[in-house]
Amino acid sequence: MELKVMIEIRDLVYRNLHIPELTIHSGTTALIGKNGSGKTTLLRLLAGLSQPESGLITLKEKPLIAGATGFVNEYPDKNALFSRVYDELAGPLRFRYYSCDDIRDRVLEVAGQAGLDQYLNRTMDTLSGGEKVLIALLSAVICGPEILILDEFDSHLDYDTQEEADKLIASSGSSLIVRCTQNMDLAARCGAIIVLQGGSVLHTGPPEKVFAALETTCCYPFTWR
Amino acid sequence: MVKLSLIKIEKSHGEWKCKIDACFIPGVHLITGRVGSGKTTLALLAARVLQPDQGVVQYEGIRSHALSFQYPEYHITGSTLEKEAASYGVDPDRALALAGFADERSEDPFRLSRGELKAFHLTCLFLRQWDLLILDEPFSALDCKGKLTVSGCISEYKKGIILVATHEQHFLPRTDYLWEMRSGLLTFLGTVPEALKSWQSAPSPIRSLRAQGILPANLTQQDILEAACRTHD
Repeated sequence: MELKVMIEIRDLVYRNLHIPELTIHSGTTALIGKNGSGKTTLLRLLAGLSQPESGLITLKEKPLIAGATGFVNEYPDKNALFSRVYDELAGPLRFRYYSCDDIRDRVLEVAGQAGLDQYLNRTMDTLSGGEKVLIALLSAVICGPEILILDEFDSHLDYDTQEEADKLIASSGSSLIVRCTQNMDLAARCGAIIVLQGGSVLHTGPPEKVFAALETTCCYPFTWR
Repeated sequence: MVKLSLIKIEKSHGEWKCKIDACFIPGVHLITGRVGSGKTTLALLAARVLQPDQGVVQYEGIRSHALSFQYPEYHITGSTLEKEAASYGVDPDRALALAGFADERSEDPFRLSRGELKAFHLTCLFLRQWDLLILDEPFSALDCKGKLTVSGCISEYKKGIILVATHEQHFLPRTDYLWEMRSGLLTFLGTVPEALKSWQSAPSPIRSLRAQGILPANLTQQDILEAACRTHD
């Protein structure tokens, strides 16, 4: 499959982040790095939730705008806008002025596909952390965003649920998925990897190349040992 | 000897019900289970933060206990890292030095990344000795170095009861007893390694080894690598 240039970063400065040049292609890119290296800061910039102090981030050669992306926050409680699960899933559709019938149909469709239809009438505060991020993921993909940004949501999921979530992500139709993770086996399955350290890009490229540079560290994927 | 008993506990959230009848003695107890199976409910009940609908939570000889919430931000009470460390009853200088924040004592805890905050919180917690320590998802948000450190702290815990509820796949501690939450029902699987045979929510490396007929001696990364590289029994 031909990879297309999706996001280009030039001369970016924002808080502790300094990225002179970075290109992210279509497909799935894993963002990894030590705690405090700037991963969440970069993801928020890619999602259009923060604006660079200087420099430029473009999506297909046009300025990035907020709202074009699906975003799942690493804090499960920070994803929810509404108290009921149904409303949480319906929210993005309502904000786009879908009809009530279309909203109901779409919510039932995605919740059914994910096997989460039994949650629809529950309130968000009765869900576990893992259940909250699953609902957040559904809410992020329900409008079929071109870009999907996932901030370490997999740390709240067990192995089987993570596999199911990965199927949801794969079927989202998003052209570009950038996911931050501390699961290196999962990162190794992505098309590309970006490694941040101290706010700068330490390595970037396909998993084989990036992990070859990290072979002596605890970051090296367990299944490759 | 210290002992934690959850006797004929029932707790409901709407139609969901959790049932626990269990006794925890000193050692490392690993509790796993699928998303929404009731691990956090068990942690809250064991810490007496949540009251059961039925049954009794009994502490025997437990004079100190602590609960680490899944979300580190829930613990913040201090406006600076120094005050936050002091709120745990530990020496702030030592906690700040160990966590790598010696030069940031006046920093607002909310300015840290989530992983940094989790590491700082756990550093403070492990500077004290507890008769009962309950850790809900201690590895979430930590990088691999942090996970190895926390795993080592749990493995080396010398006395007391330590409950670890987690989804972690690769950096588990040396474990004495294995439990599984199955749709709200807490099930004792036994001691490690025998218990690994019936572990439904086992992490991927354990599943992979089991498929080859191999059981690691325990769950640390070293145990799993040794088992994976074993050429004969």
